[in-house]
Amino acid sequence: MTSVAPSPRYAPAEYDPAPYDPTTEPFDFPATGLGPSIRSRLTLASDLVLRRRKPKLVYAAVVILGVMAIVVTQLLLSVGLSNGAYQIESLQTQQKTIDRSNADLQEKLDSLSSPQNLAASAQSLGMVSNSNPVYLRLSDGAVLGTPKAATAGSGTFTGGQSSLVPPAATTPATPATSPAAATAAGATAVGATAAGATAAGTTPAATTPGAPAAAATDPTVPWQGDLPSPTTH
Amino acid sequence: MTSARSTRNRIAFAIIVITAIVAVLVVRLVDIQVVQADSLNQQAYSTLSVPLSIYGARGDIVDANGTVLATTVIKYTITASPVDVADFTPLDPKTGAAEALVTPVQAAAEIGAITGQTADAVYALLTADKTSSYALIIKDVSLDQYNAVKALQIPWLYYETDPQRVYPNGSVAGNLVGYMGTDTTGAVTGTGGLEAEENQCLAGSDGEQTYEKGADGVAIPNTLVVNKQPVTGGTVVTTIDSDLQYYAQQVLAQRVSSTGAQWGSVVVEEVKTGKLLAVAQYPTADPNNLDATDPNYWGAIAFSDPFEPGSTFKSESAAALIDAGKATPATQVLTPYKYTAPGGSVITDSEVHDPAPYTLTGVIQQSSNVGISILSAMLTTQQRYDYMKKFHLGEATEVNFPGESEGILGDPNKWDEQTLYNSSFGQGVTTTAAQIASIYQTLGNGGVRMPVQLVSGCKQSDGTVTDVPASQGEQVVSASAAEQTVNMMQSVVEGGYAADSLKIPGYNVAAKTGTAEVSNGEGAYGGGYLTSVAGVAPAESPQYVVSVNIMKPVTVEDGSASAPVFQKIMSQVLQKYRVLPSTVPAVDYPTSY
Repeated sequence: MTSVAPSPRYAPAEYDPAPYDPTTEPFDFPATGLGPSIRSRLTLASDLVLRRRKPKLVYAAVVILGVMAIVVTQLLLSVGLSNGAYQIESLQTQQKTIDRSNADLQEKLDSLSSPQNLAASAQSLGMVSNSNPVYLRLSDGAVLGTPKAATAGSGTFTGGQSSLVPPAATTPATPATSPAAATAAGATAVGATAAGATAAGTTPAATTPGAPAAAATDPTVPWQGDLPSPTTH
Repeated sequence: MTSARSTRNRIAFAIIVITAIVAVLVVRLVDIQVVQADSLNQQAYSTLSVPLSIYGARGDIVDANGTVLATTVIKYTITASPVDVADFTPLDPKTGAAEALVTPVQAAAEIGAITGQTADAVYALLTADKTSSYALIIKDVSLDQYNAVKALQIPWLYYETDPQRVYPNGSVAGNLVGYMGTDTTGAVTGTGGLEAEENQCLAGSDGEQTYEKGADGVAIPNTLVVNKQPVTGGTVVTTIDSDLQYYAQQVLAQRVSSTGAQWGSVVVEEVKTGKLLAVAQYPTADPNNLDATDPNYWGAIAFSDPFEPGSTFKSESAAALIDAGKATPATQVLTPYKYTAPGGSVITDSEVHDPAPYTLTGVIQQSSNVGISILSAMLTTQQRYDYMKKFHLGEATEVNFPGESEGILGDPNKWDEQTLYNSSFGQGVTTTAAQIASIYQTLGNGGVRMPVQLVSGCKQSDGTVTDVPASQGEQVVSASAAEQTVNMMQSVVEGGYAADSLKIPGYNVAAKTGTAEVSNGEGAYGGGYLTSVAGVAPAESPQYVVSVNIMKPVTVEDGSASAPVFQKIMSQVLQKYRVLPSTVPAVDYPTSY
């Protein structure tokens, strides 16, 4: 079984084209390529040949227009592409700038949210922690522990002493403003608002900058909504 | 006839000449297109192409709540080309109109005003070598400074970016996160603390890409090829709570300073899981500025510096006695001030007293060396050593911190007569602070020791967490032995010498003080004391371990030096983690008979 007869599909076709014979088919030869000897012998056909050539002007026009269209398209495409390259370049630069400023802001945020800076800010704002926790058991409403007010000296997070854990050496800390400064800033802001509103003629004249400032120092915060539920850890 | 021949000759000559020229051209063409093709292409490509390194960022180290302890930021390096330094005319960024001419001296002053250098210093850098095309102006400036300098539009300045490791929390956990350095090949890598231990997780790898640029430096479209993708490093998630760590460092620093001590360490561990919530020490280095701190304190001394623990070790001895069935909290022992052991070694208590009828609870409360020595003799040396091994003493903890010490137990068969007894109250053997905390974690957790955990995993950039440590506990002593030992330690807080500074209102606390003699380094004692407190709370259902060690305090020389630190930190832990106050009275075993 080593030799297999070639499949008929691939066998040389038993087709033997008859050689072209101008004498048997005198009017069907192609318009070009058979040389002047034939044409000179068959002068009667020359008109026919000329008539057949005429539509080729249209073909030529189509071809030329097509080539021009392709060239123009190619040109526009490459102009578009290189424009796109410039646009991509500018957008990438923009993205890089934004990424950088994002990273920079993140770095500042990380630094400001470090425990040292938070403790210092809280302290400079006059906040104290109560080291005497009292729990309200929700199941029966029992109060566990004895409530005791936090005092300014003992109640600070660091026990009234200055921080012995300095903030990171890389970035200068910018703790929150002191309560006095904050109040002053608040008063200024309120004053400015009041002045602006008065100028617009919509606020009663009784508004004084001093009164809202006094209210701003009141530490109690009114409850809004439900009682807070304990955070589960 | 002659004209025909001359014509043929001319034609022949022309053909020969043309053939020769064509031949030369063909040879040259083949030479260029085939023979030299590769090297010429290479030359062309190297002129056109711009290789770019894509930075693969090193991962962050974060605490249990995601607060960043270590991260990488981009800093900017400004360089100049002194050979090009000349007057220039900046353009108004809005209108594009030319502004006044700026001389190099003026430019130097403007640069200096932004970077904080003096004008003269900058000008000196620019003019040091006027033929050079490179001069470093300043390294690692911030984005704001970089933008400000760039806005000066100085044409002969160049800018480079430089990734830098920063530690936003400074010395908070600075002992744990470690620091960067260079390896033997000069590459930047983690060389201390978690930066070193977790280097494999943290390290990213840079990628590479190339593009071809046109005459104006803009990339030619479709020529960007990424040869290698960059890999961002993973995030190391620790079990540390940075707020608690800060508080512990703050309280410890105050106490170490006020007692004139050499150093101190605090370990806070979660009883149920073995997770370390804080590993504080004083002094602590700020990894951003290591040089400000003595190199001895760059690492975590809670892992690296073993010491003879002293009386906090008595809890281990008592738990072993109860677990082996040799004693109960009520076991009686008549305790003299001075005891001469059968082998001839002499043990004394810290203060002179008449022979006292202590129970084992009383021995723990009064921290009697004699009492625990007499009782421990009921166990063989090998048994006692085996218990120490079961508590994983004499071996590094599972944290495997860089430079971690195993502590020294020695060979129990070679313990001398004195060490046979001393080891029952924590002299003659050494442990690290982490090992002491682990003993108390075991006792608080019903005798089940959990592997000590500092890192809870490596979070890859795709969010998966790998390298999660084992969390399989191991029963060291029976649950009842552990519970009885904890209950006995409540007597220390109720009536021990430091009781007043150990009590936490509302909670039952179980703790043990310690005042260990420190070796003077020459085989004898006399180098001062290591004072310590270790304990758990709430005693009826322990949740947290706090272990405080203060080395060589001057103003107070016993456990009272550490007690206020323990009290404050334990209070903060109980408050922070919302542990409800105890509703049962403290267990009150009899201390004498």
